[in-house]
Amino acid sequence: MSDRPRSALLYFACVTLVTAAGIATAMTFRPAFRHQVLDVLGLADVPQAAPGSFYTARVAPLFETRCNGCHGDKMDRGQLRLDSFALLMRGGKHGAVIAPGRVDGSELFRRITLPESDEQAMPPSGKPPLTKDDIIVIRLWIAAGASGALPVHAIKNAPKPVVEIEIPQSDPVQVHRQRAPLADVVRQLQVRFPGMLEYVSRDSADLEMNASLSGGTFGHAQLREFLPLQDRILRADLSGTAITDGAAPVLAAMTRLEVLRLANTKVAAATMQALAPLKSLRSVTVTGSAVPPAAVVALRQRGIVVYGSDDVR
Amino acid sequence: MSADPQKEVHVQVWDAPVRLFHWAIVILMLVSWLSADQGYMRVHLWSGLTLLALLIFRLVWGLIGSTTARFRDFLHPPRKVLAYLRGLAGANKALFAGHNPAGGLMVVGLIAVLLLQAVTGLFSNDGLRFHGPLALLVSEETSTGITGLHGMIFNVILVLVWLHVVAVGFYLFVKGDNLIFPMLTGKKKRAHVPEGWSIKLAHPLMALLVLMAAAGLVFWLTV
Amino acid sequence: MSETIKTPTQFAQLQAQTRRQFLGWGMGGLGALYMNDAMAAPGHTLDLARNPSTPLSVLPPQIKSKVKRVIYLHMGGAPSQLELFDHKPMLARFHGKPAPEAFLKGKRFAFISGIPKLLGPMFPFHQAGQSGAWITDRLPHLEKSIDDLCFIKSMKTDQFNHAPAQLLVHTGDPRTGHASLGSWVTYGLGSENQNLPGFIVLISSGGITANAGKPLWGSGFLPSVYQGVQCRSAGEPVLYLDNPKGVSRAERRQVLDAVEQINRQTHREYGNPETVARIAQYEMAFRMQLEASEAMDIRREPQKVLERYGAQPGKTSYANNCLVARRLAERGVRFIQLYHWGWDSHGTPTDEGLNVGLVGRARETDQPTQALLADLKQRGLLEDTLVVWGGEFGRTPMWENRGGQEMAFIGRDHHPSCFTIWMAGGGVKAGLTHGETDEMGYEIVRNPVEVRDLHATMLYLLGFDHKKLNYPYQGLDQKLTGVKPARIVSEVLA
Repeated sequence: MSDRPRSALLYFACVTLVTAAGIATAMTFRPAFRHQVLDVLGLADVPQAAPGSFYTARVAPLFETRCNGCHGDKMDRGQLRLDSFALLMRGGKHGAVIAPGRVDGSELFRRITLPESDEQAMPPSGKPPLTKDDIIVIRLWIAAGASGALPVHAIKNAPKPVVEIEIPQSDPVQVHRQRAPLADVVRQLQVRFPGMLEYVSRDSADLEMNASLSGGTFGHAQLREFLPLQDRILRADLSGTAITDGAAPVLAAMTRLEVLRLANTKVAAATMQALAPLKSLRSVTVTGSAVPPAAVVALRQRGIVVYGSDDVR
Repeated sequence: MSADPQKEVHVQVWDAPVRLFHWAIVILMLVSWLSADQGYMRVHLWSGLTLLALLIFRLVWGLIGSTTARFRDFLHPPRKVLAYLRGLAGANKALFAGHNPAGGLMVVGLIAVLLLQAVTGLFSNDGLRFHGPLALLVSEETSTGITGLHGMIFNVILVLVWLHVVAVGFYLFVKGDNLIFPMLTGKKKRAHVPEGWSIKLAHPLMALLVLMAAAGLVFWLTV
Repeated sequence: MSETIKTPTQFAQLQAQTRRQFLGWGMGGLGALYMNDAMAAPGHTLDLARNPSTPLSVLPPQIKSKVKRVIYLHMGGAPSQLELFDHKPMLARFHGKPAPEAFLKGKRFAFISGIPKLLGPMFPFHQAGQSGAWITDRLPHLEKSIDDLCFIKSMKTDQFNHAPAQLLVHTGDPRTGHASLGSWVTYGLGSENQNLPGFIVLISSGGITANAGKPLWGSGFLPSVYQGVQCRSAGEPVLYLDNPKGVSRAERRQVLDAVEQINRQTHREYGNPETVARIAQYEMAFRMQLEASEAMDIRREPQKVLERYGAQPGKTSYANNCLVARRLAERGVRFIQLYHWGWDSHGTPTDEGLNVGLVGRARETDQPTQALLADLKQRGLLEDTLVVWGGEFGRTPMWENRGGQEMAFIGRDHHPSCFTIWMAGGGVKAGLTHGETDEMGYEIVRNPVEVRDLHATMLYLLGFDHKKLNYPYQGLDQKLTGVKPARIVSEVLA
């Protein structure tokens, strides 16, 4: 068998040829495979979407919340991934799913608009569906050329984006630390004036005070006791208390005050003038007080809402 | 059987269970591939379960089967496998009735990988309407991870199958040793079998019994 | 018992302390343990532990909130959105035509059978205010405040009978036994006024209260101190609150002291925190004797205010209740729930006709509702009060044909697929209309809002993550929003 090396050579040449032909065929008919191969060879074209583009701002978030669970880095059903612009434009096992400019020719759009009962409908029955507005956003984007560069404002008639509210995770240790410097003062005042002083929330060191339920027993002397907290109080309800314009300096010292309620008190114009330096003030209530309408004009000009000055009893 | 077996041109080297197992695996692998590809998940499930039962059968048959079915017949130390592979290029005169050392390695590799594939399949899900029979025993995350593995092992299987076919082709075209024919008929030319070698056949009923037990085990585990 | 424990109250407090509270309180030194505990329970519960003798004490919200209190105006019987706010000219065009098959296929109705006719809106609509929101001509007063309202026209429910639908709206579940919205809120935040209940219920419209009865304001699995207390705007504000004839306040005090001794004894023996809650409730009732009568007494209001509401002291009316609601809001009551029945416009008797009963209900509620909004606004209270108006479901665009028969009066059947509510006040976008129904007012076509979404949104406005405001019961961390995912409707937030 002297010709064995030659026949072995011939055989392995054939095997290489057949294998190459097989790979070529697979690359032609299996786009996902083609992309895998190109990725390995570092020859893949990886188009990027621009940061301020319509795609990044409006389209990608829809895929992120509705599709990427199955078509993302954890799972690639149908060998389709939607977690980047490049991967989306590659398409899946059966090729491109987006035909730029042609909504009707886009497999992705066909799937997301099928009735829920359809086997091929996406997201599949039981998963949270895309809303009408989501579908409009995708349709407008494909129709406009499915570009990754088109700026977000270029598509004028797009529905407003949906905002999902994330409630921040509070850090008890951090809150504890922020509260610590004045914690003793707060505790003492809480004991002295039950129910009148509380933190605005569990994740904050800011405070709000409400003396409105104590009636006439709460006056200047009591209000002054809250002075150590002057930079922490955001909301003060002094309605129905015994305070008068004499309390103005204390109120003016509460630099971060946002809401001030002085209904049914004897405060008058002087207090309104004293509020001028309060930068964060949003609203003042003077219903049933002695504040004349003219005294609140300046506050209103600053955009502060003043309640009740026109209806003084 | 004729009077003098030593005079026959052909010798039996594979028992029926091994041959049936081999071709059943070929068919089931194709069925599994196509059914998963086309989304016929019920078919995929049953072909996978059948594969699993067959693999368990084969493991047992590797201990109690006919001579050439047993692992000890074709499992060789690595040194010997390497020596054999090196010898392939030259005129290797060593004869093996059953699997040669390289082939034995291939068999063990394929069985191991297929077994892994069948077992991971049990814990997989397609993220939609279908999940493997044991997928609910683990968390969704784990199941999804295993599904990824199930997909990757498939590529390994493809490579192993390709190697297997290339090797068989090598024996056929280069060495003039047809391995396909014996796997169909069970018989090899006497010239390709060591002098004086003959198979010790295990009872086919035994094979049936083991297969039923394996099927029962799979059924009990999964259904 | 240790000698350091001096009073029965202290002992009760210690008894009621749980491990979680203990770890929570000891956060300074035991910070690590606390964190460990918090990590161990993913999506853990907000710690709402209180001293059991002051169960209504104020607790800060989870996050800074826009809303301090809620006034919920429940319109029992389900007012027709198609007569009040959801303007459907196309329905008017098809008035009298048989309902299309698509409306009926696979649907179940409470009373409609066969093929009903479509029923166009009964009253003319027009756009009002800066916002241009659509409104019927039957609500001329409310129109004046229309720019303060935020409409949700795409509310949906899965209940089409009154009792379960009302339970769903008020407790987040169509079955009894769940805690009501007001209970959750007072449980989470406490109440500013310790001399009044934190959750007060005011009922108008005669003998009918609500189909589901008192479970609508029940506390369910929450401690009973958080249940709604039904008050009346005529006569004794709270039934059996006043001392019996011949019993003085001092004598009542003595009785309460004696009862407390017995209750303490009971608590020592059984250790049930509900006993401590009961002592607290007796004490609150004693304090309420003075404060409740004052708070509920609308005779103390100036004549012009009474006129603005259309209130008549001494009667039971929605107008009186609206005025009382404002007085309670001023006094720091956390949750004020009004019920006004009579919107069930089937067309069976006159009073259930869209042309008669609904007109009457609109007239009764129009002026007081607007007066309440305007009054709250003028007093600066609307910015931190959330006012919600709504029924338990909607009404069909089809003319009800009970048993396939023409009805004596004009009516519509129950319709869970869509209904309209409005909100006003703190944190909501005034002048907005959210959601949209189809041209016939039959199905939602844009931005559906489930009842649980509304609940999640309300809790968010009050400073809570609805997932964290929960209570362990029957092996589940019970939530107002239930187990299905609920969405905070960010679109309606200011």
